[in-house]
Amino acid sequence: MTCRELFERLSEYVDGELSQEMCEEIRKHMDECDPCVNFANTLKTTAELCRRLPSQPIPPEVAAGLRAFLSEHLPKSL
Amino acid sequence: MTDEQALIAASQNGDAAALEALVRTHQDRVYGFAVRMCRNVEDAKDILQETFLGVIRSIRDFREESKFSTWLYRIASNACLKKRRRGVHDPTPEKELSLDALMPRPDSEGRKPEIADWSDNAERALLRGELSARMEAAIDKLPKDCKIVLVLRDVEGLSAEETAQAVGLSVAAVKSRLHRARVFVRRELAEYLGAEQSWRRESTSRRLDHSL
Repeated sequence: MTCRELFERLSEYVDGELSQEMCEEIRKHMDECDPCVNFANTLKTTAELCRRLPSQPIPPEVAAGLRAFLSEHLPKSL
Repeated sequence: MTDEQALIAASQNGDAAALEALVRTHQDRVYGFAVRMCRNVEDAKDILQETFLGVIRSIRDFREESKFSTWLYRIASNACLKKRRRGVHDPTPEKELSLDALMPRPDSEGRKPEIADWSDNAERALLRGELSARMEAAIDKLPKDCKIVLVLRDVEGLSAEETAQAVGLSVAAVKSRLHRARVFVRRELAEYLGAEQSWRRESTSRRLDHSL
């Protein structure tokens, strides 16, 4: 396996979506290639950091506006 | 039957209170997604309204074949993409993300690029509260078709299959877009954290297919 071939599969690798054989090949390559190990680690970190990004909760006035909008459009439903 | 399943069943039978409860349960999720996709509160409000109007109008068509949240993301994603197509809000360049251009390259003497593991630096920057804005800025630079996949998959936490359902793509297409988006965001983080001085950006002089 070349660095290029590994590079193409890295997201699937860090997500645990590859076959056991493919994982073995990747690990074999990584035993000999520090840049690929570090790239894989930091790609995994990137995905994990995304998961920890805070999301904005709905402001109360927007929630109230939503309710008014829905009741205005569907007076019989809400 | 879970509480949510009971609310869905009641909503499908025209129970307005149940519908309102469903809206309340999911309004934060949809608003957060819409704000991140649009980066604009007014557009996010439109998406929010359009999404829940869609829910109310189509709740009878919802089948338990997918999770309710996935179905909701599908309606919200359609609203986001439709907004883009209308050209109402489109700050992101729609150029293709090329994996070739994103791949680290050897230097002029053919030495492998120095790639550091900056995971610990990132953790410290996150704790100092300075990383989130950088990450959001990096995600904003993505073309919309890649951005929506990364947001659904990595930020909102949907599986590849759920993301594919939400955006109407094959799982393979989702994985391809996700990988390119992640590699792009990773590169932005690496540059910010100052970890990869030897990075060869946008190098087109050399097509590399044998080594990093």
